[in-house]
Amino acid sequence: MTSALLVQSAVIGLSIGSIYILMALGLTLMFGMMHIINFAHGAIYMLGAFVIYYVYFQWGVPYVAAFVLAMLLLGAGGYLVERSIYRPVKGGIEPTLVALLALTTLLQAAGYPVFGTLDKHVPPVFSGTRNVLGVTISVERLMIIPIAAVLVVSLYVFINKTRMGAAMRAIEQDKEAAALQGVNVNVINGLAFAVGFALAAAAGALMAPIFKLDPMMGEQPLLKAFIIIILGGLGSIPGAILGGLILGLIDSIVATALGAEPAFLLSFVFIILLLLFRPTGLFGHAP
Amino acid sequence: MPRSAGTAAALIVVLALLLSLPFVGGDYYLYLFALVFTNIILSASLRPSLTCGQLNIGHSAFMCIGAYTSALLAKNLGVPFEVSLLCGAVLAAAVGLAIGYPSLRLRGVYFAMVTVAFVEAVRLIASIWVPLTRGNAGLSGVPKPTLLGTTLATRTSQYYLALFLMLVVLLVLYKLEHSRLGLIWKSIGMVDTLAQSLGVNVANYKLLAFSLGCFFAGVAGAFYAHFIRFLFPPEFGFLLATNILIYNFVGGRGHFAGPIVGAAFLSLLSEPFRGSPYETIFFSIVMLATILFLPGGLIMLPGKLAGLWRSASSTYAPSGHA
Repeated sequence: MTSALLVQSAVIGLSIGSIYILMALGLTLMFGMMHIINFAHGAIYMLGAFVIYYVYFQWGVPYVAAFVLAMLLLGAGGYLVERSIYRPVKGGIEPTLVALLALTTLLQAAGYPVFGTLDKHVPPVFSGTRNVLGVTISVERLMIIPIAAVLVVSLYVFINKTRMGAAMRAIEQDKEAAALQGVNVNVINGLAFAVGFALAAAAGALMAPIFKLDPMMGEQPLLKAFIIIILGGLGSIPGAILGGLILGLIDSIVATALGAEPAFLLSFVFIILLLLFRPTGLFGHAP
Repeated sequence: MPRSAGTAAALIVVLALLLSLPFVGGDYYLYLFALVFTNIILSASLRPSLTCGQLNIGHSAFMCIGAYTSALLAKNLGVPFEVSLLCGAVLAAAVGLAIGYPSLRLRGVYFAMVTVAFVEAVRLIASIWVPLTRGNAGLSGVPKPTLLGTTLATRTSQYYLALFLMLVVLLVLYKLEHSRLGLIWKSIGMVDTLAQSLGVNVANYKLLAFSLGCFFAGVAGAFYAHFIRFLFPPEFGFLLATNILIYNFVGGRGHFAGPIVGAAFLSLLSEPFRGSPYETIFFSIVMLATILFLPGGLIMLPGKLAGLWRSASSTYAPSGHA
């Protein structure tokens, strides 16, 4: 592999890694508070991409507006899922997980009759290429990095500097104690669902102009996000960010050298070894 | 075995009906029911793991391992069906041990995520190992099942083979569930820290429940391979794994019959649109409705209806101390 190819893989890895980070952050946030894994995250990513397809490409609304709309719509969907699934089963982990799995298969399968069986494509939003360290990269892929960074920083500020963020951290530490201090646990859990869903929608909306769209498109990013949160430690936000960067880079470099399938298999073997020798991940608390 | 005479009588009637199906139904029904039996093996073999409180979302991967192992041994090396089936099941159980050992010692969600990723890993291996598996072109020409050197060429004989395999698997699983081992599994599922404090090696018993399930999923896969005679990697993906879980939850978690009822009910009802997105939509909606409105699953339905009937027919409302 030449050094130019290496630089190119690294930059592309950074932009793919940013997408993975957006996916993993919502997952790890929801896990930290409710001890659930949102299996529907991949389906929400898919819906985020389809919002861009219809609102931006078909109806001609500006990309930024379509992007914000995707986050708002699916964020509202997240609150609805908390209200109609998580709350009625009284926070039972197993029923929630199974219901989220069923929601995933429902959204994926419904995608075929609703969106059609043919792959969809969204035309590029940002055209042209840029020269980065001597290699040319498409602006489309480069732009993912700052947009994702803005979202990550906003999430950080939201969690650490606002009252609602403080309520989220309180629930993460001790749900009962938070409730006793006057935190409305149901509403804040709903907010976590909304934030997680909105971030997944943002990831899908960013990838829409780059990859082809089909109802199953969310499966790969979801599995990648699983690997990242195991790598970074379940519930750890810095872990998710670092894990996302590492996996993005490995993924892009190994995939360029060997192909996408071996890259996935390699990361799976790596996770199994990690669980054997360092089960808490890079930043995790004791499991 | 079953406690009441009524249950025993019902079982005998069902068994007699199943045994006589070849005399009344055509090949289509034999084919359909053989697939239902395969689904019941898959569904019931997930139960030990679920009883321990482990959400295995990767059962189809072990079916896939059993199917390809048995098919390739029979097709390429001419291994007899009885042996190739056993090899497929043993390999599935061995892989289950290797995957379960690192992930079952941790919190349940780790295991759930690892199994989901494993389904994808196995599907990818089956798709890209083209020289062995023919990849996404599919593996065709798998030999028909044989028994003691005789090929089971007719649908009727294959139907009886499926029925026999299902009955053996169900009997073994039933005996295990009602043994000391089954009690330990149940105690782990209820409060694993308490079970541990009483001296139960929780991780090992979870591992045993999981790999036993993998073994029987391998049996189901091996039968499926020689019955359908064509293997296609995407069939063993996330969707099938989710369906096996759905059988268990829709049927009901509280009783041994739950996964059997769930698999039979859903596979028969979805038959008109098998393989289309509408099958998945139907399964998912039934699953969500079950979680929200009938958390005990279908096996709780008769009791619930009887309760409703009693309260409707009684002259006074049983209020206050319900």
